[in-house]
Amino acid sequence: MFRGFFVKTISFVGYTVQYGCIAHCAFEYIGEFVSCSGPSMEPTITNHDVVFSKRVSRHLCRIQKGHIVIAKSPFDPKMNICKRVMGLEGDKVCTSGPSDVFKTHTYVPRGHVWLEGDNLRNSTDSRSYGPIPYALIRGRVCLKMWPPHSFGVLAESPNDGRIL
Amino acid sequence: MFRGFFVKTISFVGYTVQYGCIAHCAFEYIGEFVSCSGPSMQPTITNHDVVFSERVSRHLCRIQKGDIIIAKSPFDPKMNICKRVIGLEGDKVCTSGPSDVFKTHTYVPRGHVWLEGDNLRNSTDSRSYGPVPYALIRGRVCLKLWPPHNFGVLAESPNDGRIL
Repeated sequence: MFRGFFVKTISFVGYTVQYGCIAHCAFEYIGEFVSCSGPSMEPTITNHDVVFSKRVSRHLCRIQKGHIVIAKSPFDPKMNICKRVMGLEGDKVCTSGPSDVFKTHTYVPRGHVWLEGDNLRNSTDSRSYGPIPYALIRGRVCLKMWPPHSFGVLAESPNDGRIL
Repeated sequence: MFRGFFVKTISFVGYTVQYGCIAHCAFEYIGEFVSCSGPSMQPTITNHDVVFSERVSRHLCRIQKGDIIIAKSPFDPKMNICKRVIGLEGDKVCTSGPSDVFKTHTYVPRGHVWLEGDNLRNSTDSRSYGPVPYALIRGRVCLKLWPPHNFGVLAESPNDGRIL
């Protein structure tokens, strides 16, 4: 009787590990659902929105300017950030604010990207911490899932002048 | 006859995907074998050495000063680098060379690590590209597997004076 119970437990654990691994690989290579928080991407993405982030673009290195990406935070390896790509390696990006008199620019180093939130007044992004390595990007946000009235593809950048 | 062949192909693909996912998760969460190239970690690790890099420390955030780690390169998301951790976030690190008259120091920012190769004369590391985000670390090298006469745990840093 104990042996039957033992065998059942082992096979239950075996199936859990098996399907857990398959689910993990699906989230790793296909895409994942992400619940966003914070005001830095308003009005495109607001607090408590759920988006779908696909991983294929990141693995094939097809992230482009204007894409919204989920990346690991350079300051806290357990947190993720959600920002828009404003410049790829080699691009010229504007580091001064829209209201500054003197415009300053910089070039994005090799292997890095320049990220900015859509809500420029309330976003901590590359303007404060500099370009981040491309390898920190997890995936590209391609679809908003929640709330239902906002379901669909995400809008273009409201700060078009920033993408040079 | 075709249906039997079709069913066999589908189940073969199914098993391959299943065991591929389990193997991927084992490499992702337990450890992986890495073949190293380049002179930057001599004499501890030389060209064509094979080492075992465990992933558990990275996921549990238990990487410490003096550990040798494998990380994604900040300049090329498809390449990996193998260096020693000389400083963690908040630590003071020496940015001047051993032969410089004036010693300069800097503090490692939050969420970053300072990496240096053991072969200080022939290593491109944090002394040239600055601190690296902790999230780029893939795993900690704990065992050298090849060549057989060097099998075993890796040596301590030959540049002990660099770890403050």
